[in-house]
Formats: sequence, structure tokens, C-alpha cells
Amino acid sequence: MTSTSASTDGAPIVIIGAGQAGASAARALRDAGYTGALMMLGEELHWPYERPPLSKDALNQPDPKPAFLLNDELARTLGITVRTQCRVSAIDANARRLLLDDGSQQPYHACLIATGGNVRSLPGLPLGAPGVHYLRTLDDAQRLRAALADTDHLLIIGGGFLGLEVASTARALGRRVTLLENANALLKRALPARLSDWLAARARAYGVDLRLNAVIEQVTSTASGVTVKLQHAETLSAPQVLVAIGQTPQTALAAQTGLALDPVNGGILVDAHGKTSLEGLYAAGDCSSRPDPRSGHQQRLESWQNANEQGRCAAQAMLGLPVAPLAEPWFWTDLFDCNVQIMGQNANDLQYVVRGELPEGQTPAKALVFGLRNGELAHLIAINAGGELRPFRALIGQPLACPADVLADTSIPAKQLARLAAGPVNA
Amino acid sequence: MNWTPVAKIGAIAEDEGLPLSLDGKEIALFHHDGAFFATDNVCTHQYALLTDGYVEDGCVECPLHQAQFDLRTGEAKCAPATEAIRVYPTKVENDDIYVCLD
Repeated sequence: MTSTSASTDGAPIVIIGAGQAGASAARALRDAGYTGALMMLGEELHWPYERPPLSKDALNQPDPKPAFLLNDELARTLGITVRTQCRVSAIDANARRLLLDDGSQQPYHACLIATGGNVRSLPGLPLGAPGVHYLRTLDDAQRLRAALADTDHLLIIGGGFLGLEVASTARALGRRVTLLENANALLKRALPARLSDWLAARARAYGVDLRLNAVIEQVTSTASGVTVKLQHAETLSAPQVLVAIGQTPQTALAAQTGLALDPVNGGILVDAHGKTSLEGLYAAGDCSSRPDPRSGHQQRLESWQNANEQGRCAAQAMLGLPVAPLAEPWFWTDLFDCNVQIMGQNANDLQYVVRGELPEGQTPAKALVFGLRNGELAHLIAINAGGELRPFRALIGQPLACPADVLADTSIPAKQLARLAAGPVNA
Repeated sequence: MNWTPVAKIGAIAEDEGLPLSLDGKEIALFHHDGAFFATDNVCTHQYALLTDGYVEDGCVECPLHQAQFDLRTGEAKCAPATEAIRVYPTKVENDDIYVCLD
């Protein structure tokens, strides 16, 4: 059993991956009072940084500063050894030792795998081809930023959160944007049809040439740019293209170590505390698949908050401390002058109630959208209403004590409404 | 101390905030636990007004990304914010709340 003091074998706790989950775990270990050696190994050139700004401020602010999660001074204060450009080539779980690609070995007492994800690539548009962009790292963002400064037209393949965020940013920069989505609506898994349609109209009102049902038949990359032939439609060309068709969990090292992987979502299988199938090895963040506390089903989430929370849980578990439950999953995005926040999960059997305004065009929007199943709050979306969403956090998954017309009544302040909705049972 | 009267005590409900513009600065006035707190109103992480946020347990939570700041000290209590907001003295005389920006 590990304690918060140095481990008996003197070996450090090692975190593989210097992203959000890894940095969160490192901070949480120190917050929990762990005083032993702590090491973080990252493959990138950069110190750990936040990824949400990469599709936003990093592309359109005049002199964007990366949002670093750790710097030299903070790492020294916290006693964290951070090694950048460091690749782990193998894990010997029996000997509790890492083999690094410079040939050296690094013993560990406990090890957290927080390797994140890799962008899913589109055959025919390899990274490095002229005008082809993917977006996962700070270096990717800097290349895209330079390209945006130099082009009048960006073609985006993929209408998910990332593609939409970059579309919004590129429009704010005044670039012409064509966005291809192969589904018949935007963000179908995350949003009810009404909000999907509203968002599509909003994207168009902000000048995005949005093509739904855009199935790509062929892509060609040449020195002057990229050409995309759509099924049953025209052929499009652009000097610069961003491929944003999702990511896959980075599990190569885990698989090679013999860790159990989720057969459905591909993530590293962990329990509620981040423990993998092998003693002493933990996983957190985008690369991991953990049981959803509500349904019990394995789930792999890709979000800033999930990475933070899973990193924190794994840190507590590594120290043998009681693990505070994961916070309710919460997700945000910033699109077309709308801060969108989501709690709970979309499903097609939900009844939706809109509280507030979802106007057309570029008119400012502000609304809470409640998704109810038999009077229970299953899904909650805030459009420019994060402060109003917050008092409902504790009510996700709970029966609401007030009817739909009361939920929609904007004359009742949100906090008061949340108290009404909690009712005598939850009050 | 240069005190400016900014509001009547009845103007802010418990756990609510009032946005103020004072000397060209965006200031927030919060009512929490029977007391009044004046702070910078703009989150140090990204532009958002904290008076649009959520007050609980002596902290205000930003409406955009849930960064929390201690109302008494201004300290950033959780990610994504790392930098504190400034806090300013307040006092109540009769029914008036005063803020000092010095």
C-alpha cells in the first residue's frame, strides 16, 4: 500500500503523458499530501498545456500565449520532474520499470498512463501533405494559425465540436469557410434535433458554407491544395483543409504491455478508480474507458473536465486514499458567439423543454434546454447560460418536482427554479 | 480611503451579484452569508462576467468554465483559472453599500 510519504522502494510515481489528465493527477498527488518523488514524461516539445484554446484563442488572438498547466517554477515548487520529448517504448509491469526510447530505464512505484488520443486520419490526406491540417497539439495549432493568416478559404472535413469551433474562429477572422459533415444534422449524438437544426442555421448565419449529408467520394492533395469530390454533388477545392473527424485513444503502449482494452470504444479498461488490469498501473483521460457510475456501462469520454476528474481520482487511488466520486460529466464549447454547456446525455426518448430564447441569425441567444424522461432530468444544455445551468447540476438524473411549463417560465430566476424543481425530496 | 456609494442593501439578493462600472473598471458586488464583497468582475481565465456566475460556499463560479474564486481573498480555487481576481473593501452605512477601489 502506498502512503502519502515516499514509497518504500524509493521509486517515483511516474505519469506517462503530459496533457490535462497527467497534469491534473500530478497536482492532485501533491494536493493529497504525497511527498515522494514524482515524474511526468511527455512526448511533445512543450510543457503541459490546455487544449481547449487550440481551436479558439490560439488561432485568432494577436499574440496567443499557450495556457500552460505547469511551468519550470511551478514544477520546482511542487517537486515534479517534467521530461519533454520523452517516449516510453515499453512497460515492464512485473519489475515496475519503464524502458525509454533513449535506452534508459525508469523504475516506478505506481504509474499512470495518460497518453490521450491520436487524431483519426483520412486516407488520401496524410499529415504533412501541402495544405493538410489536423488539430490536436500546440504545434498543429501554430501551423493552422500560420495557414489561416495566409489563405482566404478553409475547408473543414467533419462537423463535430472541433470542426465547428475552428469554423467559428476562422469566420471571426474573416476567412471563407466550407464545412463538410456526412450526417444529416450537426452533433447528433450530443444534441436534440431542435438544437442541431438551430446550430446549423446559426453556423450559416455566421457565413459558414455548411454542407450536411456530404459524403466524400475521393480526396486529392496537390501542391496547390486539396480537392474533394462529394457523392452526388460537386467537387470542392481549397488551398487549406482541416480534417476533424475525431480521435482514437492512444493505447499502443498499453496494448503492448498486455493491459485489457475495451472491445467497443478501444480505451484502456479501468475501474471507477482508474486501476487497469495490471497491478501498479493506472489510466486516466481520453485514453481510458471507465464504468459510467449511473449505467455501469464502460464509457470513454473526451473532455477537459473528464481528464481533470479522472486524473484526480487516479491520484487518490494511487495513494490508497479514499476516492471522492467523479463529478457529473460536464462539457463546454464556444461557437458563433455562444458558450454551450452540456450535462447529462442525449437520447431520442427525451422530451425537451426550452427556457429562454434561441433566436435566428446572429441575434444573441440565451437559453436552458431541459431533456426529461418521465419527469426526470436526463440532459441539460445551456446556451450562454452557464450560471443558470449550475444550480441544476445536482438534479441530473433526479425526478423534477415541477412541470414543463414552470421550467420554461423565465420570470422565475434560475436558482429559485432549481429549488422548486428539487422539490421537498431533494431540498 | 476613498469610499464610493454603489448600491442600497436591498438591491442584491443573497448569493447574487451586481455588475458595476467604477472608474472605468468592471467591478462585481456580491451578497453572501449576510455580507457584501466587491471583486473584479472579469474572470482571469477568459472574458466572462462573474456576476453572471454562481455563488456558493464563499466562492463565485465563472459562468463559462466553472473556475472558482474566493469572495474574501480573490484566490483562484480551481482550474482553469490560476490567477486571482482583485478584491476591494466594502462597508455598509445606513442602507448604503460603499466600495473602496484605492
